[in-house]
Amino acid sequence: MSGQFYKLQIVGLENPIETATSITLDVPTNLYQTFSFYPGQHIVLKLMIDGKEVRRSYSMNSCPYNDEALQVTVKRVENGLVSNYIGDNFRVGDSIEVMVPQGRFFANIDPHGYKTYFLFAAGSGITPIFSILKSVLYTSPQSTVNLFYGNANQDTIIFYDALADLESKYPDRLNIIHTLSNPKVWTTWTQWKGRKGRINAESVEHFITNHPPLAQNTEYYICGPGAMNNTVRETLINLGVPQDLIHVEQFGALDDESDEEGTIIDNANLTAKLDGKTFRLKIPKGKTILQVLKEENADPPYSCESGVCGTCRTKIVMGDVSMKVCLALDDDEIKSGMILACQARPLTEHIEIEY
Amino acid sequence: MKESRAMPILPVEAYTSQEWFDKEQEIIFGNSWQFAGLVEDIQDPGDYITVQCGYQNLLVVKGRDQRLRAFHNLCRHRGTQLLRAVGKKQKALTCPYHDWTYDLSGQLVSVPQKETEFPNLELDQICLHKASVDIWRGMLWVHPNPDAESIARWFEGVQEHLGPHDPLRLVEYPDSRYEKLIKANWKIVAENFMDVYHLAHLHSNTLNMYDHSKAEYGFIGDHYVFWEPHAKKYGENLDKLMPFKRIAEMTDEYLGAFVPWLFPNFGLSETESSWSTFHAIPLSPQETKVIIRSKLEPMSNWEFTKQQWKSGMSWHGIMGGETKYGKKPDLSSEDPMDWNDFMEEDVYVCEQQQKSLKNPLFNVSRTAKNGESTVRNFQTIVKRWIEN
Repeated sequence: MSGQFYKLQIVGLENPIETATSITLDVPTNLYQTFSFYPGQHIVLKLMIDGKEVRRSYSMNSCPYNDEALQVTVKRVENGLVSNYIGDNFRVGDSIEVMVPQGRFFANIDPHGYKTYFLFAAGSGITPIFSILKSVLYTSPQSTVNLFYGNANQDTIIFYDALADLESKYPDRLNIIHTLSNPKVWTTWTQWKGRKGRINAESVEHFITNHPPLAQNTEYYICGPGAMNNTVRETLINLGVPQDLIHVEQFGALDDESDEEGTIIDNANLTAKLDGKTFRLKIPKGKTILQVLKEENADPPYSCESGVCGTCRTKIVMGDVSMKVCLALDDDEIKSGMILACQARPLTEHIEIEY
Repeated sequence: MKESRAMPILPVEAYTSQEWFDKEQEIIFGNSWQFAGLVEDIQDPGDYITVQCGYQNLLVVKGRDQRLRAFHNLCRHRGTQLLRAVGKKQKALTCPYHDWTYDLSGQLVSVPQKETEFPNLELDQICLHKASVDIWRGMLWVHPNPDAESIARWFEGVQEHLGPHDPLRLVEYPDSRYEKLIKANWKIVAENFMDVYHLAHLHSNTLNMYDHSKAEYGFIGDHYVFWEPHAKKYGENLDKLMPFKRIAEMTDEYLGAFVPWLFPNFGLSETESSWSTFHAIPLSPQETKVIIRSKLEPMSNWEFTKQQWKSGMSWHGIMGGETKYGKKPDLSSEDPMDWNDFMEEDVYVCEQQQKSLKNPLFNVSRTAKNGESTVRNFQTIVKRWIEN
């Protein structure tokens, strides 16, 4: 059941970098099947913080095809409610509420396949990408992986050592290019000799040009903040990559609201038809349509509050909304006007929806 | 009823008749992965090559995303062949006839005088017919079918029986390119390549660096794999005798030659100091063009010259220098058997066999139990393709 939560115990906590926590969860034998997943998918955690229920989705960074236990990694976001709560309060032995793995962003890897994978990650966007990368290396011996991985500086590269180990273990099958937007000049390591700068059109084209695929059957996976995702995707399309080979996942959904802050309308008018009733409400800046309806006790359908499960889907008949995460809808559904209330924030003064 | 003379599995007509040739072109060459060149042949976006797959000509072009794309080389307008041979850095593919132009992804992008001559034509509805292309072992391979089984599956199990060479790392020496028109059916050339029995006889003095009695060979699906170790005296003097710098991956446990035949018409010769492709292109029932290209360990001119000189100086004393018939090699002779070149020896016997096919007395009465089992197996495979 896609909306169901299970209690899983935390059996390991570690810090791959100072500001991130990897949480290892114990999946009891009777839930193995329920918690099986494709690399790239994520789980939703349900937490009570200061008496309020919050839900967040996190991609597994573990590989589902070997003995690795299920693991997610949460990076602290400045002033982020949930990421800091997790970093400060999670203890080994705690049990947390977890919704079964889901998500449309995943790699279905054919062990006999002969493919070239191009992976793009920025910051904590590495988590699903790392799972895909390991899964390809472990299960599809003829396939190769090229990873372009952007970070702010040396100290924020999650899984740096683990990636370096894999690179030396699979020299013929794995290429990793790191790029740092703001490298520290001197660190405990030697001076940064890698690429400098952001993941942008120029650096993506450079990466593609310098990694011609061997297997001509290629796939492209991108995970990072919205702007980076769009840049990579558009650059690939401009270079001639067919759209259906490009897979995009957005991360940092709610803790990081800087991106579209400016374009969200404050106090937009919402008209919602739900269960035969019509609600006319204001949407204060920062709130989603779902939050406003919940506060009104309109009893709207919802479950994950992470843009994942699709329970809160509704149809927009007037206006336009922005959705940070929209994994439960495909392009055609979005075109036809479907939205996810848990993610929807107004981009126009008047919004009308019909459940 | 006329007794059909056999080769011994296939009838003689399979080597002489146009009807058989047409069937092979359609059924075998139109439905299998074909060698199209080396990865280096298409370097930059817009570079292209053309290649014949049976009766279908394909073009392979590199996109700006560095991916290769294969199309059938015919204009969607009136079917004219779009491109010739090879080309560099094309921005688009334009038909010479009426200048219909396609982008590098095969999409029609412009038609001259469209408004008046083709007012209802929707450009985005027209794309070149797609085909398949992939890279395997540093080589380009094409298949006329866009939904062909993957190249990895086509060669499944073969890789393990090939040499440790990494062709992508090796360097092609253009001088080593060899092209020859052989007046024999392509299957005669293939069978000669796979005939283990002849090695110790036809090539007694030209391939004597190998111990043919220790050859290991067999079929993996439709593909033939072969390895044989060095002869003792060649192996013991390898540093002196090998013609080129030793290939780094050819560590001692691999020493010898890997010489597979990949169905239907492609051979490799992978030795301690060279890596060569052998492409046998059927031109007619009795004509085959063979193209051999060789790659070597990267080395300086001086290293190249030094090793050639060393090998040349040492060869005669250790390996002997006479021809099969005990003569001094003579390149000016009209008899290829005097040239002491194993390739020319093979060309000679292939043409001699083809000449006999029209003789009413011709028949293959017996074939060697082991050393020619490969010939029978190959014919059985061809027969299965044609009959299924």
